[in-house]
Amino acid sequence: MLEVRFHGRGGQGAVLASELLAHAAFLDGKWPQSFPFFGVERRGAPVTAYVRIDDRPIALRTSITVPDVVVVLETGLLRTVPVTDGLREGGLLLVNSALPPELIEVPIPVRTATVDATGIARARGLGSPTMPIVNTAMLGALARATGVVSLDAVRGSIVHVPAKPRENREAAADGFAAVRSGEGRHLPVARRAERAPPLPEGPIAAVPSSTLVTSSWRTLRPVIRLEKCTRCNFCWKYCPDDAIELDPSGFPVIREAHCKGCGICAAECPPKTIEMVLDAGARGGWGVR
Amino acid sequence: MAKLTIPAEEYMYPGHAACPGCGAALAMRLLLKGLGPRTIVSMPACCWTVIATPYPTTALATGLLDHPIEATGASISGLRAAADAMGLKDLEIVGFAGDGGTADIGLQSLSGMLERRTDAIYVMYDNEAYMNTGIQRSGSTPAGAWTTTTPVAGASHGKPEPKKDVMGIVRAHHPVYAATLNPSFPEDFLRKVERARGLHGPRFLHVFSPCPPGWKYSSERTIELGRLATDSGIFPLYEVGEDGVLSITRRGGALKPVAEYFRAQGRFAHLTEAEIAAIQAAARANWERLLRLATPPPA
Amino acid sequence: MGRQVISGNAAQAHAARLARVQVVSAYPITPQTTIVETIADFVASGELPAQYVKVESEHSALQCVLSASALGARTYTATSSQGLLLMHEVLHWAAGMRAPIVMGVVNRAVAPPWSLGSDHADTMSQRDTGWIQFYAESNQEVLDTVLLAYRLAEDPAVRLPAMVAEDAFYLSHTFEPVEIPSAGEVDRFLPPRDARAVLVPGRGLRLGSFTGPVEYVQFRRQVADAMERVPAVLRNVEREFEEITHRHHGGPLSTYRTDDADTVLVTMGTATTTARGVVDQLRAEGHRVGLAKLRVFRPFPAEELRALADSVGRMGVLDRSFTFGEHGAAATEVRGALYGAPRRPSVSSYLGGLGGRDITPGLVRKVYRSLESGGSELPTWVDLLPEEAPAHG
Repeated sequence: MLEVRFHGRGGQGAVLASELLAHAAFLDGKWPQSFPFFGVERRGAPVTAYVRIDDRPIALRTSITVPDVVVVLETGLLRTVPVTDGLREGGLLLVNSALPPELIEVPIPVRTATVDATGIARARGLGSPTMPIVNTAMLGALARATGVVSLDAVRGSIVHVPAKPRENREAAADGFAAVRSGEGRHLPVARRAERAPPLPEGPIAAVPSSTLVTSSWRTLRPVIRLEKCTRCNFCWKYCPDDAIELDPSGFPVIREAHCKGCGICAAECPPKTIEMVLDAGARGGWGVR
Repeated sequence: MAKLTIPAEEYMYPGHAACPGCGAALAMRLLLKGLGPRTIVSMPACCWTVIATPYPTTALATGLLDHPIEATGASISGLRAAADAMGLKDLEIVGFAGDGGTADIGLQSLSGMLERRTDAIYVMYDNEAYMNTGIQRSGSTPAGAWTTTTPVAGASHGKPEPKKDVMGIVRAHHPVYAATLNPSFPEDFLRKVERARGLHGPRFLHVFSPCPPGWKYSSERTIELGRLATDSGIFPLYEVGEDGVLSITRRGGALKPVAEYFRAQGRFAHLTEAEIAAIQAAARANWERLLRLATPPPA
Repeated sequence: MGRQVISGNAAQAHAARLARVQVVSAYPITPQTTIVETIADFVASGELPAQYVKVESEHSALQCVLSASALGARTYTATSSQGLLLMHEVLHWAAGMRAPIVMGVVNRAVAPPWSLGSDHADTMSQRDTGWIQFYAESNQEVLDTVLLAYRLAEDPAVRLPAMVAEDAFYLSHTFEPVEIPSAGEVDRFLPPRDARAVLVPGRGLRLGSFTGPVEYVQFRRQVADAMERVPAVLRNVEREFEEITHRHHGGPLSTYRTDDADTVLVTMGTATTTARGVVDQLRAEGHRVGLAKLRVFRPFPAEELRALADSVGRMGVLDRSFTFGEHGAAATEVRGALYGAPRRPSVSSYLGGLGGRDITPGLVRKVYRSLESGGSELPTWVDLLPEEAPAHG
């Protein structure tokens, strides 16, 4: 049995990717099982999904804690989610990144593959510029890097994609062709023992959510050209994330840790001094601890 | 530097879990600016249950109480009763519920709260479907809208029925104050919240809440869509006092055509020109009905 | 106020008044209505300075007092039958929120067919909600148990909601002498609620919240632990109550003439009173029979039952409700409690008094007779009438 764990962000199609992989494995004559972890289904929020593939019916119904393959649909998640947790020795980490595998920082020594699925999705017109849908390109790369399914089966599974089947099939083939394998750059991190946190008597939450970081939710980030700013404070007024402060002289300051990159500030700025630019690598992550 | 037109104080923390561009997040931020820290927010199951972030964090600097989806009206009656019994002064009690939790499953409890004259503000943030469960139609979904339970396929062409008139239902209870609010107009929004805050008795705020994933538009257009909804007569802004006098609070010149609003959203992408024309006629009729109700009548 | 002839429902209302509840909310349902009517009179006359919220459903009644409790108020509500079933969702919420609500429940049959008669199906359907459950036998016990329930529910080691159940009509509408304690006595026993860990105006606290699986389990376990602490706290609370009022109702499993008994019947609520009379008669006739009243059903007094089983040859359980597909609810639990006991008497399940059928002395005798002749593995419906043979023609 082979176990694959997907990490993505809400809206990228990680859950659909897990379902497609199951369909593909089935087309290859295998017995698949796929399911999502049901957490905070929010556009941009971290999402996990699981796939098991075997030659016979699978006698296991649990989340996957010791995967053979981990697929990461978004580089930023590497820093914010412990994606390599439990990854089996000799397993594979497949990351959506334009960088070569040797430049991917990993907390354990692990075989690493990369593919620029974002670039492929944009080129094939999949999703929006702010939220490219990278799942089919990743599956193509997965087929090549692991051989767990054939490219034909991945392409065949795309009948289950709700839109743009031709572009998605092409994206899968692009991913298959473009994937690069190697070793990630090992940067060890200390592991913490699994312990239950101390709880108050009764479910009372008291920690401000400002201690959380939501920067990894964004693909674009706002850049303000302050020299053209009229200090009208529209950007501050309309921000749904309270992610813009006004400095003492009234100029807006983006709270980088909390901006989700919705683009409202740029759209509403009367003199158009705010530009949304591609966020190369989001810092920090959204999580409880 | 321009003066601030809305209060500087923030009682909603950043780091919350709303989708990028969420209208309901901006609505909460503006609402609490107007209500201040001595507020208890009573919250049924809705998007904000999740937006407020999981234990041990919370996204509000005020009190926040979770409860079942149909129970908002009952909950705020209980909170007010406790505040009165315990002598807690200057406490604002606010129910903050979605359109499904208000117009559908919570309608009985809302009616009860209005009828027993609970001194509290009930806010319905209206994103026009069950968004937290993944975009299913509610009584507040407008006609023609695609949702996952009103698909566009075969004989189904989006939601056939028109949107439930919750404001009409609320007004029939003669609350001390009822108003429609739109976060695209923050000054009008805050003026209404502050007016509601100064009153005692049942108050109802119907808040327009654009939803990028549910309405299928790009997140930066939330404010623009809100403006279009009001300026095309789809979501008119008005308020009704205890005397029943209805005042329209944003009255531009001629209404904009609804097509611009509808064409900006994927949930309406399937609508034909004829269907848009029918919606245009209905919006026009609705607006004119509102003008007739408004006092003083327009010149 | 001394001794007065009042109904069980009035006993509930007096107890709420004496407890100085701050918020009451209820919705009318027969046979609970006279509780909330009496409280309305107390509030109107100023005897009870509480906020009384008249709501549009039982679901709202319980939510109303739950939200009031979340702000720190002492609260009371009462219901019955269908009303309790409608509250089911909020019952879970109240326990999970650790809200020390006390609720009076008049045990009434569940429809269909409609019936106003006494029956425990309503409260038995709520046994997994995390509420402490008391079943009273007399109007005095009703009044005293409501007061005990507040002390117990609000104890920092417990902080769980409690329901005090009384049988429809046999108590709710039965008038009998009740010693009504003075306000001073009750105030000594029951100080104002210590409302720590509730919503505080001006502070960013979220009560309820949502969690992943890890914290969820932890919070559930807290409720379980709190329930585990009930017996010890109840012992202390009942002792203190006895010091002030000189009344003690016998702990969670109140036994009668069981010391040398070889046959013991377990009852709940008003059936106990009748059965006690039958025990005296049977004893006089030379039968070694005894009686055990399940006064607290949650937490289930398993330890007390095991101790009792140690000296008993046969046990029977007379249930006033039936869990379809199994036995009487109490019988099932008694069997479960004794499974690991060093000595295990046979436990037979008897169903009687459903839908308001009288549990008569004759019927109780029949049960003891059945027990003494070996009992039965299968549940026995003791008051079913034989059907007339269909007419042929």
